[in-house]
Formats: sequence, C-alpha cells, structure tokens
Amino acid sequence: MKYILMMTGNKSDFDGYAKWSKEDLQANVAFMRAFSKELKHSGVFVSTEGLGWPSEARLVRAGKDGEPVTDGVFPESKEFLAGYWIIDVENPEQAYKIAARVSQAPGAGAKSANMPIEVRPILSSHADLGL
Amino acid sequence: MKYILLMSGTAAGVAGYHARSKQEIEAHMAVLHRITKDLSESGEFVATQGLAGPNEAKVVRGEKNGVPVTDGIFPESKEFLLGYWIVDVPNAERAYAIAGRISAASSNMPMEVRQFATYEATSR
Repeated sequence: MKYILMMTGNKSDFDGYAKWSKEDLQANVAFMRAFSKELKHSGVFVSTEGLGWPSEARLVRAGKDGEPVTDGVFPESKEFLAGYWIIDVENPEQAYKIAARVSQAPGAGAKSANMPIEVRPILSSHADLGL
Repeated sequence: MKYILLMSGTAAGVAGYHARSKQEIEAHMAVLHRITKDLSESGEFVATQGLAGPNEAKVVRGEKNGVPVTDGIFPESKEFLLGYWIVDVPNAERAYAIAGRISAASSNMPMEVRQFATYEATSR
C-alpha cells in the first residue's frame, strides 16, 4: 500500500527554519539525503519532493470566464506543505515507523526537530472513493 | 519549471462531497480525468495523486528511542490535502491557468499553487 508522509508548517515555523545556521541546515539536508537513499535501498521509495517557500504560494480560483484569480494572503494559522515522501509499504505501522524517523531529523542546534509528520494512504484508484 | 497544484479541504468539506450523488461525483471525476488527459497531451503532466480521507490521517512523531507516536485527533479547521497535480510549465501564469481550470471544475475550490524547491534543502 502506498502512503504519503507530509511535512508541514505554518509561516512562523518556516521563518524559524530560515534562521537555522548553515551547519544545522547542512546536517538536516545530509540526514534527508541519507534517509531517501535508505528508502530506495530498502525498496519502499516511490517519490519525494520539496516545495518552494510559502511566500511563493498562491491560491487560485477560476473567475467567471475561467481566467485564474490569484490570492497570496493566508491566515497566520495556515499550514503549508514543506515536502513529502511517498512510500510503498506492507502496512500502516511500517509507514508510521518511517515517519517517526523523519520526525527525528536534526533541527536547530543539531537537536531533533521532532516535527509532526502527517501520514495518509494514497488512493490507488478512484474506486477507493467508493464509486 | 515544476509546480504543484494542491487541493485541500476540511473533514466537513470532504463529508459534504461524499454526500453528493454517485452521478455528481462521477461527473466531477470525469472532468478531472479530462484535465489530466489534456495535460498529458500537451506534455505538461508530471504526476497526480488522490489521498485517502481525513479519517485515515495520523500525525506521527518519533520518541527518543525512535518509536512512532501516532495521533489521529485534528482541529475541525484542519485543512487536509485531498490530492495534487504536478505540472511542468514555462511560467507561473500557466500553472495558475491550469489551477483555475481545476477549480472551475470543482465547485470553485481554491487551489494552492507552489513551485518546487530549487535549492536542495528538503529532498534527495
């Protein structure tokens, strides 16, 4: 079964990440690279992506004649996706175990950031919606 | 340039969607499939995924010894990712146009559009 592991944060969380020292950032990136490599070696890796900063996020709706109407103002509480991993594992417990490892990635001051990771199954087809 | 178009909604919004008739949901899915097909034909399609419902979501943290601690209680205001499209387009305006089309097909739901990180800070 495929699961998505999502790392999210609000704007102030991202402001905090932007203040990490170069060393802390490098340690975090090294961890993430080693982590993705390990997932690939164990055969559970499907994909991973990191997203641009919240300042680049836009909300888009269609106007009356279908042209896009964009908005870049978000409430302070808004949770932005920072990045994700998609893994293919046997059961949710295995997905939670892998998520716990990402949660322990080093953060500011080389301490574990203990970031919450949201875990959800991926729909294999629209049949999963009960159609 | 790669952009991700994120469709999100609350648990109440998802419950409302599931309360629609089968025909309405199928008609919506047919339009989404059509958009994906158009994007494939124009060479802009990279990936799309739909996620399982909010009731299956868990937040996981690692304890000191690496044991996963899961929590499935979320505030009512929590916005859950419902699905996404990844497109490879020349500029942000084209990504907004595609997002607008998906929004128009989906009860004018707002679509969040973000570029992928160009620095290597978060992945690979």
